[in-house]
Amino acid sequence: MSGFTMPSATLLAQSVLSGVFVGALYGLLGLGLSLSWGLLRLINLAHFAFAFLAAYLCYQMASMGMDPLLTLLVIVPLFFAIGAGLHALMARFAITPFNSLLVTFGLTGIVEALIQSIWTADFRKLESAYGEHRYKLAGLYIPLPELITLALAVGLSFAVWAVLRYTDLGKALRASAEDAPIAAAFGIHQRRNALLLAGTCSALASVAGVCLALGFTLAPSQIYAWIGVVFAAVMLGGLGRALAPLIAGVIIGVSEAVTMAVTAPSWAPLVSFTLLIAILLFRPGRAA
Amino acid sequence: MSAAVSVASTSVPPAKAASPWRTPVAIVAAAAALAFVPKLGLPAFYDSLLYLILHWIVLATSWNILSGYTGYFSFGHGAFFGAGIYTTSTLLSRYDWPFLWTLPVAALVACVLGVALGAVVFRVKGIRGEVFALLTLAVTFVIGTIIVNTPIDGGNGVSLSAVPVPAIGPTPSSTFYLLALAAATLTMLVAWRITTTKFGAGLFAIHDDEDAAEVMGVPTYRYKLVALGISCALAGVAGGIHALFLSYVTVGEVFTITVPLTVVLMSVLGGTRHWAGPAVGAVAITLLLYSFTAANHAVAGKAMVGVILIAAILFMPDGILPRLLKMLPRRLPIVVAGALPAPAVASAAGEVLLRTRGLAKSFRGVKALAGVDVDVRRGEILGLLGPNGSGKSTFINAVTGHYVPTAGSVVFEGRELAGRAAHLIARAGISRTYQIPRPFPHQTVLDNVALAAMFGGGIATPAAARSQAMTWLAFAGLQEKAHAHPDELNLHQRKFLELARALASRPRLVLLDEVLCGLTPSEIDDAVALVRRIRDQGSTVVFVEHVMRAVMALTDRVVVFDHGELLAEGLAAEVMQRPEVMTAYLGQPAVEKPNA
Amino acid sequence: MDTVTRRSALGITLAALAGTTELVRAQPGAPIRIGSTLALTGPLSATAQIHKIVGEIYVEQANKRGGWLGRPLEWTLKDDQSKPDLARTLYEQLVTADKVDLLMGPYATGAILSAMGVAQRYNKVLVHHTLGIPALAKYEMQFPAWSLGSDPATTVPNTLFDALAAGPKPPKTVAVVTSKFPSIQFMAAGAREVLKKRGLTEVLFLEWDFGNRDFGPIANRIKDAKPDFVFVGAIGLDGNLLLDAMKKIEYQPPQHFYLYPAPGPLVSLPEAKNALSVTIFEEQLPFTSNAGAAEFVKLYRERATAAKLPDPSVEVQAAASYTAWQILEAGVAATKSLDDKAIAAWLKANGATTIQGKLRFNGTGNYGDDLMRIKQVQGGHWTVVWPKEFTAGGAKLLSN
Repeated sequence: MSGFTMPSATLLAQSVLSGVFVGALYGLLGLGLSLSWGLLRLINLAHFAFAFLAAYLCYQMASMGMDPLLTLLVIVPLFFAIGAGLHALMARFAITPFNSLLVTFGLTGIVEALIQSIWTADFRKLESAYGEHRYKLAGLYIPLPELITLALAVGLSFAVWAVLRYTDLGKALRASAEDAPIAAAFGIHQRRNALLLAGTCSALASVAGVCLALGFTLAPSQIYAWIGVVFAAVMLGGLGRALAPLIAGVIIGVSEAVTMAVTAPSWAPLVSFTLLIAILLFRPGRAA
Repeated sequence: MSAAVSVASTSVPPAKAASPWRTPVAIVAAAAALAFVPKLGLPAFYDSLLYLILHWIVLATSWNILSGYTGYFSFGHGAFFGAGIYTTSTLLSRYDWPFLWTLPVAALVACVLGVALGAVVFRVKGIRGEVFALLTLAVTFVIGTIIVNTPIDGGNGVSLSAVPVPAIGPTPSSTFYLLALAAATLTMLVAWRITTTKFGAGLFAIHDDEDAAEVMGVPTYRYKLVALGISCALAGVAGGIHALFLSYVTVGEVFTITVPLTVVLMSVLGGTRHWAGPAVGAVAITLLLYSFTAANHAVAGKAMVGVILIAAILFMPDGILPRLLKMLPRRLPIVVAGALPAPAVASAAGEVLLRTRGLAKSFRGVKALAGVDVDVRRGEILGLLGPNGSGKSTFINAVTGHYVPTAGSVVFEGRELAGRAAHLIARAGISRTYQIPRPFPHQTVLDNVALAAMFGGGIATPAAARSQAMTWLAFAGLQEKAHAHPDELNLHQRKFLELARALASRPRLVLLDEVLCGLTPSEIDDAVALVRRIRDQGSTVVFVEHVMRAVMALTDRVVVFDHGELLAEGLAAEVMQRPEVMTAYLGQPAVEKPNA
Repeated sequence: MDTVTRRSALGITLAALAGTTELVRAQPGAPIRIGSTLALTGPLSATAQIHKIVGEIYVEQANKRGGWLGRPLEWTLKDDQSKPDLARTLYEQLVTADKVDLLMGPYATGAILSAMGVAQRYNKVLVHHTLGIPALAKYEMQFPAWSLGSDPATTVPNTLFDALAAGPKPPKTVAVVTSKFPSIQFMAAGAREVLKKRGLTEVLFLEWDFGNRDFGPIANRIKDAKPDFVFVGAIGLDGNLLLDAMKKIEYQPPQHFYLYPAPGPLVSLPEAKNALSVTIFEEQLPFTSNAGAAEFVKLYRERATAAKLPDPSVEVQAAASYTAWQILEAGVAATKSLDDKAIAAWLKANGATTIQGKLRFNGTGNYGDDLMRIKQVQGGHWTVVWPKEFTAGGAKLLSN
């Protein structure tokens, strides 16, 4: 039985930092999912499978000598194409959001099987130069892979936010999501925009995948380990928003980390999910 | 208008009315037949395989009772299933209860858990759709964490290998099979029965448009709680049985996203709107997963399952069962309309029916209604006029309970209604139409009206309600379209559907919100005639309108709103001449005309 | 072809007449069918694939030697998809529909317990590889290939602390951090008891949720507690994730122990220097001089490499897997039959000789001695460091 232990300030701060880092990854994973769900009305479970596929590809290319971050140059365009292509195929069928959940679940199984057949079910860890570096700031450790993840998460979230808010494309996407027929009547090029968006969501997943490869050990079954908490971050933040998954992810990550720092870590999910429930019940009513 | 009006069905041959007991008899007969499987002397593994199929039938069908019928997709079914598992395992391992007695307790615990959750969550407006799904998922993790950190499980799992399996069947496996068969039969019967009752109709209405349903008289909060309770209780039973089947339960197996995801998959694949859809999906997916257990290509098999699932959903988006049913010849039932009820006795015509005093509604500082006093007299047609944004729709929403008034009172037939739940106001005898028609898209025209008859009008059974509904459809001239869906109607017909729906609850007061907007001149004439008939058969009408000739032709009195306040009141012709009314509509005169 | 068909028909008729499958004397030449499931897909598949390779090696070797009782072996393997309820159903299929002659255990505690229930109902002997909770093994015809002893929560920590006490820096303060996974948790609880009895001080006790991803705060708390020794109740990836987290805050525990890590990934991690763990077999003397060990090690390395496993060396899982087949063969060969009861009785009375050495099954729950040895990551390889009789080349326990 672990009671409440008062942690040192450093411990607490380091834990909060740790929570921020893992929360940033939740946010980065959740970004594409939120956009897809909110703006394309597709609940894309396969998002996680694609992230892992990208992670494995990064691992593979890095093991063959390429710098892990440089693999982004190959991986991002590849997954953009995959995402757009898949959407082009699926757009032929009228799919409700919950049907898309099923279809992408099937897709997840296929991708998982693919990963397992190429890389086996064993754990794979990318050992890179990045993993060796860390910075020290005011007594706190900031590892480089985590910093990269945070930077990418923040940067991409803001970029997407800016596009959605300030560009014509962004406005067109939001309009189509609110009322597709009327948007089309106003001349918004829905098919093209949807393909762009689907490709972008996939590309975002692949970036998250590279971050996963940098910091975590990979296994095909791990795909499912992230689904629950990232869905939580996405739904907490509200769908179709750019900054919200990141903020929600960090809230969840930090609440769990702080719990683990001050009391029995096995209670962490209770705290983060109860916090989630409380926020959902008491925040002012928001239209999803 | 009187006498029975029978449906002239379109091109589909009429069928004899099917006995309503055909389905449950079929279910029970099938169950009785299946109960003999253990006696066939097949290898015992068939019992276990069938057990798994039946187990998933219970889980998927019970999930569907809440989530498929009402549209509140829950990702928390694992929590209630797990509550059942752990109730049974605790009672068995710590308190040595006999196994069969743990099952009702498991159902009860799961039910109480669900209802407690629902009681809080359903009260909060805006917890719909994805938010509800997330909440229920979060609850799963919360409960799992509690169980793993407390002596209920404590992390070591609970072993039930020492517990004797009751000898209901010849072998232990067949015992589980028979128990699951009983549970599945019960679940299917419950799921079917719900769809034939008023309760089920209400659930489907909630699915299509919860706010409209509430305003029409469906007690949405109570119904959702009941559906949730039933759903959880059944999941709890399934859990109780499964605990002993597994004989070793761990938190990691149960409180994950896997169970809820699987039941969603099964139900959506099979079809969520039909009571048997989830069962079809459960059978399909269990067999599909099972057929790929040969070791040689296990990994490829997993990929195949994915391919098959994708194909199934893309080509059968409403689910397998609806697609299969479409292939059967469709027979439309004959519905005989009942007699139009006699007009309400014009007792004390002219007495005040509805009185609002100081009725106000603000939205975060914007005063949509700034305190209005309006009297509506029995038997009159009162016009409610005013420029856009003057608060007319807000008035209707406040009176019918769609909005809760910020201040003021609404007294109807001597009873205070302000602040009461909308469905109670509907039951009290008030109904309304929407300016932009809001029919329930997945129900037929007839069922749309029948719903109003059941909930606002208090009719107990769907059959009687449909009969009443046909009467009102005939009254509105829509009887030919009774079995069509609202999206097949044009705007004029949809408006008339709104009217028929508003009337089917036999209201004493009908509030019409711009019913003429968008209609052609001849359609307007029809509508005006209909409104008159509405008053003539006994309802008082409050009539928000911009079309002046209709206002002049129909209304006995008018009230004029402006910026949320009552501006004028009196006879139409006289009120429209008043300068302040003209200013409100048209603005200040710009220039004095020389020859005014 | 006709002869075979007639013979099989005769066999089936005899079976029908005899009424029970155990008494069927199928004609010589007809294969002996062994049935089992493994988690070939799903979260447990990483380890289950090892058991598949080992099983295939074993069956091949056995058939080269002429099989068992002069008959070839045939292994009917099914995929239980990491689900215990499916494992149960599949074992029932194997016994009642496929009517296999003998059973072999599945992978992981949950599935093993499911299979055990089925075996118990049909009076089949069940040899299993890696059951993590001996206290749950209550069926008298089950036999463990993983020699944990019947009370590993006490014996294993004692072995561990003996090793540490004999090492260069016997610890005085201990941090116990563990996953709340069923087969781990009770071991960590046992470790806490043992360390108290030995007069050591527990400076930290933490449990985490199985499936936890963020080990940062946990690493921080360990660092803060400044223990001489960290006992990590790790399974699968936990150990790696914790070490990753500790590296990020530049903390290296003076001495550390991981209970059931995924061995390959741990040994290749630079931060895992001098990490301790337990084993029943390693690719070194004296283990490799046990019955069948040397050849098995060679074959496994070949097959595992061909299957692209990152770590092709034999350790606990592969060794326990091979041992299980050896146990079953021993019973069959000694009783010259496929009679489950006879096999079980013989094994209980006589034990078996395997790559782990001589095993006995006459203790509580058919467990014999605790054969767990302490190994350590030294120079990127697992090396056994305690007890001395099991070390090779003068290997000793090192500390950071």
